Amino acid sequence: MDQIRVLLSRFGAVFGKQKLDDELDEELRTHIAFAMEENLKQGMTEQQARTAALREFGGMTQTKESYRVLRGLPAFETLANDLRFGLRQLIKSPDFALTAILTLALGIGATTAIFSVVKAVLLAPLPYKDSGRIVAVWTANPVRGGQPLSSTAGDFAIWKRRSGVFEDLAPSYDNEMTLSGQGSPQLLIGYAVSANYLRILGVQPQLGRLYTDQEDSPQGPKVALLSDHLWRTTFHSNPNIVDKSITLDGVAYTVLGVMPPGFDYPTTVEIWTPSAMAASAYDDFKEPYVRILGRLRPGVTLAEAERTLNDVEAQVAAAHPQTDSGNRVVVVPLRQQLDGDIRKPLLILMGAVGLVLLIACANTAGLALARNAERQKEIAVRLALGATRRRLLGQFATESLLLAMIGGAGGVLLALVGNRFLLRLFPTDVANLNIPKVTQIPLDRGVFLFALGVTVLTAFLFGIVPVLKAMRTEAGAAMQYSTRGSTTTRRSNRSRSAVVVSEVALSLMLLSGAGLVVTSFQKVLNADLGFQPDHVLSLELFLPIDRYPSTDPAKRRQFVEAVEKRLNALPGVRSAGTTNFLPLSGFWGTSSFLLRGQAAPKNGQEPEADNRMVTPGYLRTMGIPVVRGRNFTDGDRAGGLQVAMINETMAKQFFAGKDPVGEELNLGSADKPDWWQIVGVTGDVKAFGQDQPTHADIYRPFDQLPFPLVTFTLRTETDPASMVKSAEQAVWSVDPNLPVFKAIPMDMLARQTLAVRRASSALFSAFAVLALVLACIGIYGVMAYSVAQRRQEIGVRMALGARRGDVLRLMMGLGLRLTLSGVVIGLVGAFALTRLMTSLLFEVNSMNPPIFSIAAMVLVGVAMAAAYFPSRRAASIEPMQALRTE
Amino acid sequence: MGDKSDVLQGTLDLMVLKTLESMGPLHGYGIARRIEQVSGDALVLNQGTIYPALLRLEQRGWIKSAWGTSDSNRRAKFYTLSHIGRRQIEEETENWERIAATMSRFLAPSN
Repeated sequence: MDQIRVLLSRFGAVFGKQKLDDELDEELRTHIAFAMEENLKQGMTEQQARTAALREFGGMTQTKESYRVLRGLPAFETLANDLRFGLRQLIKSPDFALTAILTLALGIGATTAIFSVVKAVLLAPLPYKDSGRIVAVWTANPVRGGQPLSSTAGDFAIWKRRSGVFEDLAPSYDNEMTLSGQGSPQLLIGYAVSANYLRILGVQPQLGRLYTDQEDSPQGPKVALLSDHLWRTTFHSNPNIVDKSITLDGVAYTVLGVMPPGFDYPTTVEIWTPSAMAASAYDDFKEPYVRILGRLRPGVTLAEAERTLNDVEAQVAAAHPQTDSGNRVVVVPLRQQLDGDIRKPLLILMGAVGLVLLIACANTAGLALARNAERQKEIAVRLALGATRRRLLGQFATESLLLAMIGGAGGVLLALVGNRFLLRLFPTDVANLNIPKVTQIPLDRGVFLFALGVTVLTAFLFGIVPVLKAMRTEAGAAMQYSTRGSTTTRRSNRSRSAVVVSEVALSLMLLSGAGLVVTSFQKVLNADLGFQPDHVLSLELFLPIDRYPSTDPAKRRQFVEAVEKRLNALPGVRSAGTTNFLPLSGFWGTSSFLLRGQAAPKNGQEPEADNRMVTPGYLRTMGIPVVRGRNFTDGDRAGGLQVAMINETMAKQFFAGKDPVGEELNLGSADKPDWWQIVGVTGDVKAFGQDQPTHADIYRPFDQLPFPLVTFTLRTETDPASMVKSAEQAVWSVDPNLPVFKAIPMDMLARQTLAVRRASSALFSAFAVLALVLACIGIYGVMAYSVAQRRQEIGVRMALGARRGDVLRLMMGLGLRLTLSGVVIGLVGAFALTRLMTSLLFEVNSMNPPIFSIAAMVLVGVAMAAAYFPSRRAASIEPMQALRTE
Repeated sequence: MGDKSDVLQGTLDLMVLKTLESMGPLHGYGIARRIEQVSGDALVLNQGTIYPALLRLEQRGWIKSAWGTSDSNRRAKFYTLSHIGRRQIEEETENWERIAATMSRFLAPSN
């Protein structure tokens, strides 16, 4: 308590020092006056009275000094002094100050902006209870491409029972539903989840309640939970929604509750219903449709859980070799699950921006070195006058911090501006990328603390070298050599060279990285999608099972035929076609198949291909070529010969060297064959994105296999986006109760698919340009300083007969030597670091000598240009003048 | 404040507090003279040292100061005991007595 009072009082005394000093003076004067008064009364003379009074008082100056030390905060006052002095120093050399501040602002700003994204996307706490223990569990099998996919209910039940690593394990599956009776019908991304699934996540509804384990059964009531978004939009935030009845797929459901805003696992889900798994479902080891969420027991690690699960699965595979052999269980932490495809690009960008920051530091260090060299004399004088090294160190640290703080403040401003731009680079509405929904990137306390931390670190990085150098200054020596100043010491040359070399090296690494990323992006952009995305509009629909049951395929056929006819009749439509799984939509499905004469493979591991049901107009509308055989025709009808087309990938994979046309595919099983004759081969379509491999595709006529998922495509004469309304009207004129899930031009879908690539490519290029500019400034600064310092030396050389060309060569040679050393180190760094970037690359090898060489040449060119101007100045020195000055 | 003058400082502080307690508001010179008189001139004080002591006490909030006019019509800074200071005297006195008792036990002729 006392201490705080003392501190406050001392702090208060820092201000208004003059007044306090005056008061003290007056008080002490009064003291002497009192003493003299008394002495005079005792009969002393005026002179004696004063002498006696002063003697009794003791040292006047000492008293004042110890009083002052006690009164204020000496350390604080020193700091204030240093700050004032530092500010004066900066104002005295505005070129240095502005360059350094701008450099730092760019470096810190870029780093802070990227960090704000990283924090918002990768570091923000998940709104789930103890989310570190929540995991998703997937099954990977080489037959299904080795990717982690959903599991079977049978596997799920055994894992839950036997593994012992989970506190709880819950099943869920996709459950799209059509909501009707609320304006136009709406297709909802739905999720059927068990009651404990929501308990694992630990979420509570903002309205109403969750369903219980009893309610989550096949005989249970029809209940549903709404997402906050659905409740706000479709139900207009109706506060009395709980217990209301809504119609889903034509069946009445009771609304149990509304989930809180921000609850979006899995992302984009609008409605949750009970999983209602029948006991018999858990005997199924064939259909992999279950998506599993679990909570690990406390203390169980990810690796442990995965190992245990795989041990259990090995036993299951022994018991069910037909379905389970080759299965590998993959456990993914919830965080990673949510970050999906954006995690690696973001981390790589963070690394890249870190390099930019390092360059900014090197740059500022170079500038500071050059400037401090000019201040050697000042330092020497101060040392000679008795300043302690500690005191000087404090002053230099203050100056560095001051510079960094101003730069950091500028950086935060830049980050504020750049932040908004960054949000646009990471769209949330991308159908076939798994990226988290980020609606805002807050610049909150964490981000500011980060910026502050980076600023201090920066001050340390660029401040330490000049300070250490300055501290080695010997008072006498420095005064001598700086007054004569004929040649530079080797040591000061060395640190400046180090700055240039590291700048060149770091820039080269960034430039090489950017070269790889941009080349990849160009390749992806130019990659043939296999269809013509321009002037194509797509409308995705789901045929609700209640009104379009699989038992009545004719109804589905009639619907599609009628809509296609009307679409074809629309003015401005060249052609229309229908498919089930639209490329780039994020939806797909597979079928296993056997070839004629092929024995059923062991363990039920039949080859698989993506299944695509299309109408005859589809290939023409999308611009997918038929490379062999024929397209489907209106003659390929239900009841006729079952026909199929395959894509080139499949033809190559399974009919190497043979003509597949005329061959047959068994799409049933070995016991119950279902034969389809191949009539044509289509070109490959990049259904999962330009940068993703093509799967084997089997096309079949929609008429022969009417699938309830329907996407109409139309090739338009004008802007496809302008046709959305009339196309939707065409659909609703056939069935007014059918929701259009998504209407989007194909070229827009193709562009969205590249969102993350485009963003990382743009940012990487920006960072590389920034690095080049900074390196350029840095090299120029160091060279210019070097020339200024060697004026006399150059003068002597010229007086002794060196020609201007020799001087130019001398200085350029210096620049070239430094640049080349930087290039060598940078190339080593590039080879080491670009390997980490493979996830951003496409058809580009990370060990890429051509790109690295181009980057190196660009850098050498820029560096030489930066060195040329100072060198020319060196060459134009008048020897006599140079020797006379100083 | 961990140097050797600690005891002396503490002593001086207590003397100042006691003086203000018995005399009421007083200026620096008055306090210094009073201390010299009470100690029977056994304590030769550098009168100047009173001022850092006064500042220290004021910073702790034990005394307060205000400008006023002396009997001889001179403008001077007067110090008064604060509430906290009044309470503090007791504690400081106890402290001092404990130290004094301890010291006298050490200094007593050994038997």
